[in-house]
Amino acid sequence: MESVQIVVSVALPWLLGVAVLAALGWPRRDEGSSPWLAVGYGYPAGAILLTLWMRVLSVAGVGFSRASIALPLLAIIAGTVWWAWRTRYLSVPSADALRIVITPAALPRWQRMIWIVLTAWIALRFALVAAEIAWRPLYPWDAWVQWATKARVWYELGRIAPFGTPEQWLAGTPGLYFDASPGYPGTMPLLQVWTCVMIGQWDDSAMNWPWLALLIALTLAVYGVLRGEKVAPLTAMIGAYLVATLPLLDVHAALAGYADLPQAVVYTLAALATYRWCLRRDARDAIVALALACACPLIKNPGLVWALTLLPAVVVTLLPRHGLRALATGATIAIVVAFVLARTQWTVLGYPLRLDFAPAWRELVRTYFLMGNWNLLWYGLIVLWVVAARRLFKPPLLPLSVTVATGLAFLFIVFSITEAAVWMADLTTANRATLHLAPLLITSGMLIWNQLNQSASTADLAPDPA
Amino acid sequence: MRAGPRPLAVALWLFVASTSICLLLYLGIAVQGAWFTSARTQHWTPAQMAVARGTGQLRPEGLQLTSPDASDATLVSVVTSLRSSQYPVIAWQSIGVPDSVEVALLWHNDYEPTRVFNRRLAVESGRIQPFTLEGDPDWNGTITGLAIGFKGAYTQPIVIVGATAKTMSAAEVLSDRAREWFTFEPWTGSSINLIIGGADVQELPMPFIFAVIIGVAALLYALLARWCPQWVGPAGALIVGGLFAAGWFALDARLQWNLARQASVTAQTYAGKSWRERHLAAEDGMVFAFIEKVRAKLPPPPARVFMVADEHYFRDRAAYHLYPYNVYFSPWVNAMPPASALRPGDYVVVFQRRGVQFNAATQSLRWEGQPPVQAELLLVEGGAAMFKVL
Repeated sequence: MESVQIVVSVALPWLLGVAVLAALGWPRRDEGSSPWLAVGYGYPAGAILLTLWMRVLSVAGVGFSRASIALPLLAIIAGTVWWAWRTRYLSVPSADALRIVITPAALPRWQRMIWIVLTAWIALRFALVAAEIAWRPLYPWDAWVQWATKARVWYELGRIAPFGTPEQWLAGTPGLYFDASPGYPGTMPLLQVWTCVMIGQWDDSAMNWPWLALLIALTLAVYGVLRGEKVAPLTAMIGAYLVATLPLLDVHAALAGYADLPQAVVYTLAALATYRWCLRRDARDAIVALALACACPLIKNPGLVWALTLLPAVVVTLLPRHGLRALATGATIAIVVAFVLARTQWTVLGYPLRLDFAPAWRELVRTYFLMGNWNLLWYGLIVLWVVAARRLFKPPLLPLSVTVATGLAFLFIVFSITEAAVWMADLTTANRATLHLAPLLITSGMLIWNQLNQSASTADLAPDPA
Repeated sequence: MRAGPRPLAVALWLFVASTSICLLLYLGIAVQGAWFTSARTQHWTPAQMAVARGTGQLRPEGLQLTSPDASDATLVSVVTSLRSSQYPVIAWQSIGVPDSVEVALLWHNDYEPTRVFNRRLAVESGRIQPFTLEGDPDWNGTITGLAIGFKGAYTQPIVIVGATAKTMSAAEVLSDRAREWFTFEPWTGSSINLIIGGADVQELPMPFIFAVIIGVAALLYALLARWCPQWVGPAGALIVGGLFAAGWFALDARLQWNLARQASVTAQTYAGKSWRERHLAAEDGMVFAFIEKVRAKLPPPPARVFMVADEHYFRDRAAYHLYPYNVYFSPWVNAMPPASALRPGDYVVVFQRRGVQFNAATQSLRWEGQPPVQAELLLVEGGAAMFKVL
């Protein structure tokens, strides 16, 4: 019985997200990638909508229950599906169409074999992650000192209760609770509450299924985005495989409870939707990108900065002639401002700034290149960046390259002039901060690779001048 | 017209060639002494060792050294019979060696039996690093005794897991690397922050050597494409990309295997148990069990509960088990709350916390630097107790 309830707890927000995107008409039906994109983006979008609804219920004084949460959302699903049907965005696909989407028929036999083997391998990975989620009680430290604390209180109370600082709590503020990070956003705890509401009891193992759902959604979305950019099915599958098997990402799904994986998923999907808008100027891409960018700070506080890293891509798209120059000027000003703030001992998003030009680079090299956290990611990226250096800042890669560069610059600032530089020495922060950007790095790497390959093919096909 | 070479075949032989080159280069650096030898690696278990100075006892995890002697020295020795020329490296396997302690390798040989030789050893992450003796003028003849010496005080026990005399032949070097790469890496508190990818300390990390092999293969391709293009064909990007994907897959296979082993361990501990049974089986099972008793004494939530413990882990973990009660704890430092913050009807839960005193006669609870608080003892068990503020 509990298994059915868990499936429903994941399926409802997933359906909600897919239905809302379908009502929006996103992605365009003429794209072969549309089912993958819709399903991949569906869960994160639906999960965020569900937690927003729970916030509304709490403000309205309606307690959390299956009926109060699920019934209105089911009505929304029915309404949006009806709308999408009426506008002919949705229709019953033929069996052949489904088969072609699931396993691309046009692939040569050996590519088809690799495609299927990779799919099976990814499925096995997800099964191993699922085993940890199903059996292991909440394990990693921050998960039970600052995230699930909120989930437990809100689940038992049936509403959102405020968490405050030690001073506020000790002063006896009525109805105030305390944990290690009272200022952290409530989205992930609310998703945990929702799962517990569905299964009808507090269970700090079962409440973590959303983490696996997010990882699966990310994998599907990356495949969809790559296919949408005309990347060959096998290459797109390799890209999805690289994302799904990124070691630290899998650890965060298996030892669920931190908000870093959700942050990585929401940010990556926001960045990729932004990239799609930059290339297509389709308002629906912009709406999806904007919604997910706005959701970034709802996952973790640094999500605000991650959301802002998407702006430069918009600038270079809207100002194709002067965008890069404007960005370079803006970056220079930002660096000066950051160093000035660092000298004045400011605290930004809870991170005290400090001027330190000697952060633990040795540890960073160790963790990026010598340990098992990132597989071969950084080696591959550096080679790609060097080989494709001339193409990175030209269309069509320009907006994505600018987003990646801004993201890396943000990480550089975090590692250089904040307290995080101190935590880097024992590697508690460096990898988790990098995790937010890593799926986007892989996807951008695959798109760079695709560009290089396309150019090579074009060169091969060009007539011999002799 | 003759068709060009198949990319898969080219990728395969480039990989074989590159791996061979890298392997030979690495062995050229790493092998000490003979590449091939009939001598076998010699290993000594803790049961074969004697504590000559300081105190220690044999435990399942190894020889546990608990304290040095009066001169802050600890010495563990083992009787050997080694031909020094066949064993250029001595490795002591250890856990928990603090940085403040000096460590030395000692030995004597049949050439000068009255003399004891010693060399300083390096320690990394609490583990003694293997020591190379090849070319050492005092490492000659037959080694009749080996010892490890520690100079300095230590509060936490040092564990000696074993000692090994290594031949450092090609086969041994390769098997050591393979063992490091495929050592099972179970979940620990730091897994959420980093994955090592095998043994804690590795001579040659697996991602690095795979990157080098792929890099050399790409270089070989570039050279051949320039000078002998008919050998490699034009599909360079595909070949190098394929090698990268294959390298990723190989590293990923190690992770998949590790996850499968971990899932098996997790299943043995938790599968088939209820939520409560799983918590009782977890690392903090005793904390959970105690907090269950506390909860039985508490009124329905949301009573205010102060949770204190010396150990950071116990304090935070016990607080977690107390929610949805309105819990207060110090998440970062071992600090007691100000007595002035306590109100009648509040509860104080103490778990293995020094400095908290309760006078049953006067029903007063006090801790360092704070005035006493009137309280009633509701529960006491081992080093843990629960009070209600009156």
